Amino acid sequence: MNESQQEFFEEQLLSISKGFDYPRTPDIAGSVLTRLRTFPSPSGRLRSAPQGGGRGERHPRFISRRLAWSLTVILVLFSSLMLIPPARAAIIEFIQIGVVRIFRAEPAPPDQGTPVTATPGPTSQPLIPILESLAGEMTLEEAQKAVDYPILLPAYPANLGPPDRVFVQDVGGYMTVLVWIDPQQPDRVLMSLHFIPAGSWAIDKMKPKLIQETTVNGQRTIWAEGPYPVRFSNGNVDFIRLINGHVLIWTDGKITYRLETDLPLEEALKIAESLQPIKR
Amino acid sequence: MDESTLIRHAANGDAAAWEPLVLAHQEAVFRLSYLLLGDPDDAEDIAQETFLRAWNHLKRFDPTRPLRPWLLSIASNLASNRRRSAGRYLSALMRAFRNEPVSSTSIEEKSTQHMEASDLWKAVRNLNLSDQQIIYLRYFLDLSVTEAAEVLQVAEGTIKSRLSRALERLRGIIKQDFPVLAERHEGSDS
Repeated sequence: MNESQQEFFEEQLLSISKGFDYPRTPDIAGSVLTRLRTFPSPSGRLRSAPQGGGRGERHPRFISRRLAWSLTVILVLFSSLMLIPPARAAIIEFIQIGVVRIFRAEPAPPDQGTPVTATPGPTSQPLIPILESLAGEMTLEEAQKAVDYPILLPAYPANLGPPDRVFVQDVGGYMTVLVWIDPQQPDRVLMSLHFIPAGSWAIDKMKPKLIQETTVNGQRTIWAEGPYPVRFSNGNVDFIRLINGHVLIWTDGKITYRLETDLPLEEALKIAESLQPIKR
Repeated sequence: MDESTLIRHAANGDAAAWEPLVLAHQEAVFRLSYLLLGDPDDAEDIAQETFLRAWNHLKRFDPTRPLRPWLLSIASNLASNRRRSAGRYLSALMRAFRNEPVSSTSIEEKSTQHMEASDLWKAVRNLNLSDQQIIYLRYFLDLSVTEAAEVLQVAEGTIKSRLSRALERLRGIIKQDFPVLAERHEGSDS
């Protein structure tokens, strides 16, 4: 490309990119200011403008995010228990299953809440372009060699077949995620199955729309329906997501299993109970 | 108050002085994050983290320098890390189950201009991260060579040579995979 060609090309790029349809910019300032004023910051600076412009006391510099989060949760739980009336104490109830904690808004009697029925068909986002850029993809055989626990595959439904995508990532332990693509909509995910070793990720779900206890092969299991925010943290990465799908969570003590799907509970249970080691 | 005065106040712990600075630069930071990550939620996370990190390091920042390149530099680094992180991986999987669409605008409803820009973005996303960064900064965010050099912390000459190579690669991708866009650029061959 000579100089004039490059100039023309650059002009075109400038012109076309001006038409790019960005999502609306969210209220970053509001969120940042709230976080500065509300939560402890890593450097321990004062959150609001101190008179005279001084600095606050510093907290230890290398406090880990997980520890900070744990401390926050403990503080919230403790202060809530101390200060709020008993009627509101249920707000801080949570269920722990494997690496997942589920905070719920209020004790939900079994006959309350939204009935568990078949949910509408998948309304998920196209995911494949995002999956393409993610690290840790390998074959199922390679994945099984990489992890020290058996990767289990569903035998139900019979026509499901092996996962379309397999990822193993080191998140303090080797987490495996199997992804099945919807054959009717190849840019959609039908379901995913996560194997999360103990001690790797901490996952907190905040007040799902519906929480139901059930069992998978006799193991205590939680079924949660969105929408609800989920907080993921592993000491290095810490982020919050709004989830609107359903998830079945159970553990065998060493591994926490998460089956994410838009299928109803009955189907999810059948899939979970059909898991078996890879046949050689 | 001008930017440098606000930065001095903020560096002394005045959160109220930080607010107008965040407001002034949040769009550029969010947009760069979105271009690099392709997801508005990820971009929002990165934008928030950018302003929190900047706040925590303001004492080390020279208030006579413009703030935007520094913020974009932080955002660019954070977004690059997020692209590689397991966090992004998990969040990508989670998104598959959300009901709320990223954008309410359907492909059909998008104007030709938006479609062209969207195709251009897709083409850029085929480049390596380093090429993407420089193209987003220079064209999508319309930064000068000097500003882009500040963001990427390299010399202006380096920006020019990197840009030239990135454009060559982008042109090749457009020719091969985006024929509609390529038609528009036929003039560049003449």
